[in-house]
This record gives sequence, structure tokens and C-alpha cells, in this order.
Amino acid sequence: MLLQTLATLGPLHGYSIAARLEQVSAGALQINMGTLYPGLMRLEQRGLVRSEWNVTDTNRKARFYSITAAGRRQLAAEKAEWDRMTTIMHALLHDQS
Amino acid sequence: MSSLREWIRRLWGTLRPKRDDSDLEEELWLHLELAAEEAVRAGHAPEQARQAARIRVGGVAQAIESLRDQRGLPWLDHLARDVRYALRQIRRNPAFSSIAIATLALGIGVNTAMFSAVDAVLIRPLPFADADRLVMIWDDDRGRTGSRKFFSTPPEWDEWRRHNTVFTDIAASQPGDAALSNNGAPEELPARKVTANFWSVLGAEPLLGRVFTEEEDARGARVVVISHGLWQRRFGASPDVVNRTITLNDNPYQVIGVLPREFYFMPARDIDVWMPAAFSAAMLRNWGWHDVHCVARLKPGVTLRQASESMAALSLQVTAPHFNRPRAAVVVPLREELAGKTGSSLIMLLCASAAVLLIACVNLANLLMSRAAVRHREVAVRAALGAGRGRLIAQFLIESLVLAGLGAVAGLALAIPVMRFLETLVPQTMAAVRLTLDWRVLAFSAGIATAAGLTFGLTPALGGSRRALQQGLHDGGRGSAGARSHWFQHALIVTETALAVVLLTSGALLLQTFQHLRQLDLGIRSERLLTFVTPLFRYRDFDRRVAFVNAELEHVRAIPGVVNAGAISRVPLTVNDQATFYILAGQTGAQAREQVALSRVVTRDYFATVGARLHEGRFFDASDQRSESPVAIVNESFADRNFPERSPIGARFQFGRWGSKNYWYTIVGVVKEIRDRGVAEELQPTVYRVHEQADQTGDQPSGIVVRTAVEPTSIVAAVRAAIWSIDKNQPVARVQTLDDIVARQLAVPSQNTALSSAFALLALLLASLGLYGVLSYAVTQRTNEIGVRMALGATSKDILLSFSKRGLALTLAGLAIGVVLAAVAARLMATLFYGFRPTYIPAVAVVSIILLSVAALACFVPARRASRVNPLIALQHE
Repeated sequence: MLLQTLATLGPLHGYSIAARLEQVSAGALQINMGTLYPGLMRLEQRGLVRSEWNVTDTNRKARFYSITAAGRRQLAAEKAEWDRMTTIMHALLHDQS
Repeated sequence: MSSLREWIRRLWGTLRPKRDDSDLEEELWLHLELAAEEAVRAGHAPEQARQAARIRVGGVAQAIESLRDQRGLPWLDHLARDVRYALRQIRRNPAFSSIAIATLALGIGVNTAMFSAVDAVLIRPLPFADADRLVMIWDDDRGRTGSRKFFSTPPEWDEWRRHNTVFTDIAASQPGDAALSNNGAPEELPARKVTANFWSVLGAEPLLGRVFTEEEDARGARVVVISHGLWQRRFGASPDVVNRTITLNDNPYQVIGVLPREFYFMPARDIDVWMPAAFSAAMLRNWGWHDVHCVARLKPGVTLRQASESMAALSLQVTAPHFNRPRAAVVVPLREELAGKTGSSLIMLLCASAAVLLIACVNLANLLMSRAAVRHREVAVRAALGAGRGRLIAQFLIESLVLAGLGAVAGLALAIPVMRFLETLVPQTMAAVRLTLDWRVLAFSAGIATAAGLTFGLTPALGGSRRALQQGLHDGGRGSAGARSHWFQHALIVTETALAVVLLTSGALLLQTFQHLRQLDLGIRSERLLTFVTPLFRYRDFDRRVAFVNAELEHVRAIPGVVNAGAISRVPLTVNDQATFYILAGQTGAQAREQVALSRVVTRDYFATVGARLHEGRFFDASDQRSESPVAIVNESFADRNFPERSPIGARFQFGRWGSKNYWYTIVGVVKEIRDRGVAEELQPTVYRVHEQADQTGDQPSGIVVRTAVEPTSIVAAVRAAIWSIDKNQPVARVQTLDDIVARQLAVPSQNTALSSAFALLALLLASLGLYGVLSYAVTQRTNEIGVRMALGATSKDILLSFSKRGLALTLAGLAIGVVLAAVAARLMATLFYGFRPTYIPAVAVVSIILLSVAALACFVPARRASRVNPLIALQHE
């Protein structure tokens, strides 16, 4: 999810990632800071995203996250896996009847 | 892959966080602010907006906490914190900590040093290919000489080699003579004659050149392989020593190879010259020539047991036609052979040091338990603040491990001097070693430190954490640690007392043995006696030999400070056996095969020089000249064996192989036992002849003894000069005083005794400290109870008795168990008693008295304190 957001919108700071997710999910997904930031940190530790301090359009100092090449590969792999899963689930839940 | 990367980053994050807490916080605050701004945009009032934002995105503090956990490795963080906490605890209780660390340092240091010696002697690989497959084969001679491992003969080697099914090959080696004379001062070199397959059996490769071939061995080629030491010492490590011709025993020999530095083999580490055995056809038929060492390599898949059984059977079969009583063979692993008695003494000492460490651990466990009880409030606070049982146990354990670690570091410093001492214990048959703190030893000490930390830390940790969780904060610390922990502490005391008893008893038995060895009557006066060897290969002709020996002794006697000088075929107390069969007048040849006596040729002054005493008859005198009816002197063993209850004087016997050409010797004297074979060796029947009458055998009086009025080593140069004035090519070898010989033979038992006594005393000290600790803790803990009892009318004498009784009961229980264990230990240590039977009862009695008095003292001090308790104060003691 986080990776997809970063892949589509380019470098973002934490708040805008959360806002974007909330917006895309039409408010269904409200992300707590205690979930968001450790998640970002884990992705960074795995080398899937990188981060740096930068200045926002409102001239605030913020940490911006961007996806790395490894992150894109991982994203593609996970998406494929997810699609496979949903296809299977779909088949199981709908086509059987 | 990526999770490994995460792990490494997290590890790094723990050690040096790239993003510190303020960095994290800033990011979170920004998030919160942005959320609030959005709420304001959505129409909330600023105050409400902030509130709403906080509810929506969560608290900063919680987020920081989870970020921290993600940043690093939480357990590593905890570990670091626990270690810091432990160090603080250690600093805060300097008395407890220094006692704990010192105790552990002693235990770990001693164990480390002992292990380094055991490693060097028993574990480290020998310098032979696949050395664990190498064995020595001996004659089982229990039936005749009483020796389980007797030298075998060339024909036995030949038969075994041809018919066995369990070895890839068997090699033989015999004593050799090598006096080097053309290169600097003449010198007698330690030498062995070996069969050509010796090298392939051992899997030994020369450093330079080659080893000899079957063909060279068969024709007796004059070629030698020399040791690395000789090459360095006499040939300046020059590579062109190969193919050089040297003069050995006045014959030219070609040097064909140099062995690597680490090569050595039985029977001594310093063999310099290896020559072909070149068994003649006659030698291969000589079933009476017992001087062969056989070394063999087990076939793949054959076990030692199979080899032993197969060889015993084979040997019985091949020896049946040649010996009166067929003889089995004994197969012994080479390692065991090389380590000898040192192996068992090292293992005994390692066990003793392990017991000391165990006692130290038990003590510390007790101390920690007492302390855990004191600290239980602190622990309860931590538990109340949310520390789980796992974290509490981890913290207790880390404290013990930190203590153990500090103890190990101090112990290593202590180990080094002990290692210097232990180096002298390495047997003469093995290469000299310098014990060092190499990685194996360090790994061992790290291992025992961890084990020790867990041993003494685990129980208090479990107990402490359990109590903390059960009792919580409300317990007022009124001392009832519960029957269960008393029971456990008491068991610990009994254990350590028992261990101390075992160590003390074994120590006492070894001490007895050592006293016995030291007070053994050597049969000669050892002080101010110089000995050396002048090999007589240059004097093969009997008359020239007699003349040379007499002239040599004459010249030596002329040196100022010399009282007397004599010669004998073997320097006394050196284990070189030289024995032959004998037959008494009236016996048949068959009986002779069962009778073996050591044979010595001496000069007339020999007995007077060494200070031997006469049992009956006379010593040799001027009337014993070369004659057809020679005389002999025998020792008491010989007399007792052959002439029980009557005098052997005047009896006659024949010597050597039972031929009709031999002289009949008439016994003219019986000398009191002289320990010719070594201090701790068994006595054997011995026959002495005067060298001028020993023309029919090859016995040569090459061992010289000189009694001096001055310090014996001060005349060595003069002795050499005197001998070289007669013959400038005469080697003078193995110069040493008899006191040195005795000291070297007693080195192993004396070090055993010294170390095991030290361990025993240490154990006693630790055990009594433990007893003292537990009792004083009980007194402190039960001050209330004592106060109540006294208030109810108990006298201080009652209190004193009740505490003393408890301490003494524990000691007695430990003593009883210890005595039983000590009996077992004594049986396992039997080889260290050198055939002496130390008396068990007095040792146990002495140990019991010592232990009980020390224990009484350890009980009395705290018990007395208990009896002095003032009931008033005690009851107020809340």
C-alpha cells in the first residue's frame, strides 16, 4: 500500500501518505502514526524506500519518502501475488456455486 | 534476503542510531500538526482540531515507542541495559562482588590452566598422520616378570607382522648406539634402530632428503635420518647435510634425511639419530632378546578391542613353541602410551579443579540466593512496573554472567603462572610444550565461565523471580524465605562439603604416597653423587676395555674434591633394563626360562662409592681377578626369591643363555636393595658382577658414579678434561647428579601432590565459607523468630545449640557422602599411588577432624551472634 502510493505520487512525507491512503480508500482506512512510521522504517531498513529531510510546498521541514528500484521490484512481485490470490479466492467464492 | 538486511540495519541501529529520538519526534509532531491544520480547514476550532487530530492519528509517545523498537533490536537493547544495570549492582556491592569475582577467578583460572595441560597432552593431535589409529604392541608378561607390558623380541615382531589380520603394518624399534666423533667434541647421541616400514606406519615424512628403504634395512646400510634438533645444533641447519658422511661409533654413516621439528617418538622426545634396524637372521630367531618396541597401524574399520583380542590369540599361538608358557600380546593406543601416568594425573587434577569450581559456584548460588531475598523488594517493584518473569530471570542471569565474565578475565591472568608450573608436568616421552592461552583454551574458559554463571545464577534467578511475582510489594520482608529455599540451600551445603571431603581425602592419600616415595630407601646415598655415561664402543676388546675403565676411574679420583669413583653398566635409578635368565646349580633349563634377573657389571669401588650397604657376605675386593671361577653379589630380592629362609652365600648359578660354556658364579655377598630401575619402580632380583670377571658377555661398565666432597657439578669440566686426557674422542654423556635424577622421577608425584593439596585446601576454605554464609544469613533472617523464642524463655544456650546443631548436621551429612565418594575416587586414582597402598582410614579420620573443626568454627560465629540477640531489639526489628 505504502509502496504503491509512493510509486504513483513520487516522494511524499508521512502525513501526505496517510492522507492519500485515506482519500483513496474513501475514509475507510485511517492510519495511526504508531502503524505508519514503524512500517516506513521497516521498508527503509529493508532497502525498499529511502528517506531524507526536505522542505514541503508550505515551506515546512519534513521527511520525504521515495521508492527505490528494489522497492519497485518488490511492489510488482507483491501485486502479482495479490492478483493471483484474489483470482483464486474469487474462483473459490463465486464460480463454485 | 531483505529481512537479513533489515536485521543488520536494526543491529546497526542499536549500536549507533542514525536517527535519534528527536529526529523521530520531529517527524511525528509535524504529522500531528498537519492533521490538526486539516481539521481546522474542516471547520473545527483550533483546540478541538488538535484533540481530534490526536484521536485520529494516535499518540506521539506510543508511536515513538514502536518506532524505537523497530529502529533497533529490542532484546539487544534490553541486554545492553541489563549489563549496565548489572555493572552498577556490582559496583554498588564491592564486598560481595570482590568475593564473587575472586572465587570465580580461582575456579576458572585453575580450570583453564588444567585444561591447557590436558589439551596439550591428551587432546591435541600427535605429529603423526591419523595418530588415533596407531597402537603399541607389548608382550603380556604377567606370568613371568609380573609386567603387563614387556618388550617383545625380534622374532615375535616378525611373526606378528606376517600373520596378523588387524594391522596395515607393524614396525619395530630397538635401542641404538650413536657416538658422533668427527664433528667437534665427541658426543653420545640418543639413537634408535628402526625397521624401514617405521616411517610408513607412522606416516612420517622427512623435512629434507629421504628415509631409508626396505632394501637398505635388509642389508644393514650405514645410513641415518637425523632429528631437526641435531641438524640445527651440529650442522648449522645447512641443507647440504643430506648425503654428508658422518662418523658414528667410529664407522662412516651417510646422512640421508632430516626430520621435521615436531617429530618425536617413544621412548624419549630427544632421539637424534634413526638408523636401520637391520635384523640379522640370527636376531630374528632370538626369542630371548626382549628389547623391541612394536608400533602398528590399525586397518580401517578395526577397533582397538578387535585388535587386542586378535593379537592376544595370535601371540599365544606363535609363542607357544618358543616360550615355556605361551604369551599373549597387549595392544595399547599410542596416545595412552605417550601420556603415561601424566594422563591419569592430569585427569585427576582436572576433576579436582572442576570440583573446586563447582564448590565456588555452589557458594555463589547461596550468596546470590541470600541476596535475592534481600533484594526482593526491588524485584517486586520492577515486577509491579510491568517486567515479565522472563525479563526478571534474564536480568538475574545477566548479572551472574557478568560476574562470571569478570571472574573469567581475572582467572585468565591467574592461569598463566599456573600454566608455567604445569609445563613441567608434560611427560618426557612427548615433545616439550609451551602452554599458551590459544583459542581452544580461551574457548574452554569462556565455556566454563558461561556454565558457571548459569549454574550459580539459575536457581536464584528462578527463585527470586517466582517470589517477586507471588508476594508482590505487600510482603514486609519479614524473613521467611520458605522451607523450600532452605531445603535447597542445605542441599548445596551438603554437596560442597561432600566435594571438599573427596578432595581432601584424595589429597591426603596422594600426600601419603608422596611421603612414602620420598622416604623410600634408595639403597644408596644420593647426595653429592655425580653420574655420567662414557660409551665404550671404542673398546670392544675386553682387555682394552678393562684397562680404559680402570684408567678413567684413576684419573677421575685424582681430581681434587673427588672422594671415590666407580662404574656400573647402567647409572642407578635410570629405567634402562638389562636383564637375563639365570639357572641355579641343580635346576633344569626349563626352570631358567622362568627366572629373570637384572644384570649389572660394576667396578670394585662401585658399592663403596654409592654408599650401598651389605646384608651379608662381602663386597668385591682385590682378590676377585679375572678367573674361571668368578663371583657375584646379589640383592635381597634375588636372595629372598631363590633362598628363602637360608643364606645364599656360597650358592652357585649360571648366567645368560643356558649353555655349558658359561661360568658358574659363586655368590659371595648380598647387598641391600638398590633401586636400580627407578624410585617408583618395583624391585627386581639383581645380580652384580665385577667387570674384570665379565669377559663372556657384552655388559660394559659405561655408567660412571663419582662421590665428591664438593658440589658435584663444580667438577664436571675437570672430569671431562681428565677423560679426554686418556682418549680425546671419548664421549662423556648425560652428566647429572643423582639428586637430579631422583627429583625428576619424583616430579610428577610431587606436582600431583602439591596441586591436589592446594585444590583440597581451597575446597575446604570455600566449603566453610559457604557454611558460614548460609548460617549467618539464616541468623539474620530469623532474628524475629529468635527474639520471640527468647521472649518465651529460651536461653541463649538453647539458641546457640540449635544453630550449631543445624550446621553440624549439614557437615556430617556432607562428610558421610564425601567419604563414600572418596573411596570411589581412591579406586579410580590407584595408578597414581605407584603400587603403594596408602591407608584410607587415617586419611579419612584426619580429614573428618579438620573438616569438623573448621565447620564448628564456621557455625559457631553466626550461632553465637544469634544467641546474643536482644529480644527487645529483635522484636522491634521490622
